[in-house]
Amino acid sequence: MNAILVALLEIRAYLRDKGGLAFSLLLPIAIFALMYGAFGGQEQFHGTAYVVDEDQGGIYSARLIEQMDELDELDVELLSRSDADDRLEHSDLYLVLYIPQGFSDKLTTDEKLPLTFKQRSNGGQEGQIVASMVRGLAEEINQGLQVQNQVEDALAESGIGGEKVEITVQKFLDREREHPIVGIEEISVGSSPDPVNQFLPGIVTMFVLFSITLTARTLVEERKKGTLERLFTTRLSVGQLFAGKFLANVSRGFVQTLILFALAYAVFQKFTPLSFGSSLVIALVFAAAASALGLVIAAVVRTEDQATWIGVFFTMAMTMLGGTFFEISEGTMMETISRFSVNTYANEAFYTVIARGGTLADVGFEIAVVAGVAVVALIIARSLFKVAQEGK
Amino acid sequence: MPEEFLVARNLHKSFNGNNAVNGVSFSIHKGEVFGLLGPNGAGKTTTIRMLTTVLEPDRGDIEIGGHSVRQDAEGVRALIGVCPQELALYVELSAMDNLVFFGRMVGLNGKEAKAQAMSHLDLMGLADRAKGKVDKFSGGMKRRVNLAIALMGHPQFLFLDESTVGVDPQSRNNIYETIEGLRDEGMTILYTTHYMDEADRLCDRVAIMDEGVIIAMDTPHALKSQIGNPNQVTLEDVFLKLTGRTLRD
Ligand SMILES: Nc1ncnc2c1ncn2[C@@H]1O[C@H](COP(=O)(O)OP(=O)(O)OP(=O)(O)O)[C@@H](O)[C@H]1O
Ligand SMILES: [Mg+2]
Repeated sequence: MNAILVALLEIRAYLRDKGGLAFSLLLPIAIFALMYGAFGGQEQFHGTAYVVDEDQGGIYSARLIEQMDELDELDVELLSRSDADDRLEHSDLYLVLYIPQGFSDKLTTDEKLPLTFKQRSNGGQEGQIVASMVRGLAEEINQGLQVQNQVEDALAESGIGGEKVEITVQKFLDREREHPIVGIEEISVGSSPDPVNQFLPGIVTMFVLFSITLTARTLVEERKKGTLERLFTTRLSVGQLFAGKFLANVSRGFVQTLILFALAYAVFQKFTPLSFGSSLVIALVFAAAASALGLVIAAVVRTEDQATWIGVFFTMAMTMLGGTFFEISEGTMMETISRFSVNTYANEAFYTVIARGGTLADVGFEIAVVAGVAVVALIIARSLFKVAQEGK
Repeated sequence: MPEEFLVARNLHKSFNGNNAVNGVSFSIHKGEVFGLLGPNGAGKTTTIRMLTTVLEPDRGDIEIGGHSVRQDAEGVRALIGVCPQELALYVELSAMDNLVFFGRMVGLNGKEAKAQAMSHLDLMGLADRAKGKVDKFSGGMKRRVNLAIALMGHPQFLFLDESTVGVDPQSRNNIYETIEGLRDEGMTILYTTHYMDEADRLCDRVAIMDEGVIIAMDTPHALKSQIGNPNQVTLEDVFLKLTGRTLRD
C-alpha cells in the first residue's frame, strides 16, 4: 500500500512537470517524424540528370535524352554550358553530362566524340548512380549501332539500302528492350525496408530508457531536499520506497510506449490487435528493466548532474548498440558488442512481433533477457542504496 | 520518578574523522519539553538524526518508548514526528498533498489523513492556501508546512530542529503558540533553537551542547541561578558564559 502511495506521488509530480512530459512524449514523436521524413521517402532511388546538349539536332543525343527521361528513376534537366559550369563551380551541382557538338554525326564515322561527365570530387552518391544509368543507356545505343554496322557490312553486297537496315535493326532492338531475353526481376529479401518498422521500436525503447534519467534524478533530488530522510522517519520501509519508485517508473515507461504505439497504430496501421497486445507485454518488461537500471544509477550517484549525465550516456550507448539509428550487420564485431545492450533484445522482440508477425513465444528468449536485466538491476540497486547522505 | 520516554546513552558520531557528536547522554521524561541548545556545529542536528533513526550512531544506543533505535527502528518510527532543520517538502505539490501523503506514510487512512491535514493547516493559518503549490509559498509559510507535516498522525514524541529559523515574528509566534498548545496536550518534545528567549519560555529543561558534548543540563531557572539572580540574567547570558564568545563555523 505504501509503495503504491509513493508511486502515485511520483506520477503526480511527473504529470505536473510539463518539461518532463514534453520530453518523454512529444520529443519521440518529433524524432520519429524526422527519421521518417529523412529515410521514409527514399526507398526507391530518384535523381536528376543535368545535361548540356550541344549536339543540336543530333538523332543519337535526342534518343539518349529521351531514353533517360523515360526512366522512372531519372528526371532530365537541360542546361546551357555556361549555366552548368557556373553551378558546378558553386557546388550547386555535382555531376553534369556534356554531349558535344557533332556527337551524332561523328558517331557513324571513325573519329567518334566521347560523352563527358564533369563532376565535383566523386560526383556524390546521386551523381554516381545517375552516371551509371547514363552509361547503361549509352551502351545500349552503342550496341545498337554496332549491330547495325555489322548487319550493314554483311548485307553490303546484297544491295539492301542502309536506311532499311537501320529501321529494321531499331525495331528489333526496341522489341528486345521491351521483352528482354535475360529478364531481371527485383525481389526484396529479409527485413522489409519499411521505415516505420525500422525506427519505431528503437526510438520508443530509447525514450523509455531515457526515463532512467528521471528515475535517477528523483531519488537524488529527494535525498538532497531531505524528503527521503524524512520519509524514513515514517513507517515507510526502504523496500516499500523502492517498490514505489519502481512501480511509478514502470508505469511511466509503459504508458509512454502505449501512447507512442497507439499513435503508430492509428497513423500507420502497423499493428494487428495481437501484435499490439504482444508489443505491450514487451513494453512492460522493458519498462521494468529501464526503471531498475534507473534505480541503480540513483543508488550510486550523489548529484542530479551525475544522474543526468550517467543516464544520458548510458541511454545513448544502449541505443546506439541497439541498432536504433543504423542497422548492425550480422557476424560483425559490432553485432557481438550489441549483445550487451538491453535495447537490442527489446528492439528485436518488438520487430519480430510488429514486422514479422511473430508471437510472444517467438521472442521468449529476448523477453527473458530483458526481464533478467530488470531483476539483477533491482537487486544491485537495493544493495547499493543508502538513505542518508553521510559524507557531504 | 517520572517515566523516561527517551534515553540516549553515550552517543558518538563522526564524519570523515571529525567528531560531530562525542559522547552524549541524556533522558527525556514523558510530557516534557526538552531544549537542545548550542552554537552552530555543536552536533544538535546530528544528535536528532540519530534519535530519529535516519543516522546510525557509531557508538552508544537510544531507546524511545521502550524501543531500541538499533533493533526496532520501526517501533520508534511509530511514535515520533520529525520537523527537520532543512525544509523537506515536495514543492511541486500542494500543501494539502504534502500533508496527506506524509499522513498516509505514518499510517493514517485517506479520510483521517485529509481531516488531520485540514486541521493542521488551519492551526498553522494556512487553510486558505491548502491547495496552493508549496513552490509559491513564502519562507515562513514553507516553515509552517514543514512543521504541520511533523504533526500528522499525532505523534507521541515530536522532534523540532530549529523550526522557527528564518521566519518573521508573526510566523514565529504562530509556530511558538502551536508548540505551546501541543505541550499543553501532553506531547513530549525535543526542541532546538538559537532563540534563547524561546527556549526559556518553552522548555522544562535544556541541555547546552558544544563541540559534540553536553556541557550543561538543567531547568532554565536552575541554569540562570548558577550565574546570578534568575530574574535578572537571561538564558542567553548563561549560554554565552558556557560556550564562550568565539565564532563557530
Ligand atoms: N553529513 C555530514 N557530513 C559531514 N560532516 C557533517 C555532516 N553533518 C554534520 N556534519 C558536521 O558535524 C558537525 C555537527 O553538525 P550539526 O549539523 O549536528 O550541528 P548543529 O548543532 O545542528 O549546527 P546548527 O546549529 O548550525 O544547525 C559540524 O561540524 C558539521 O559540519
Ligand atoms: Mg542543526
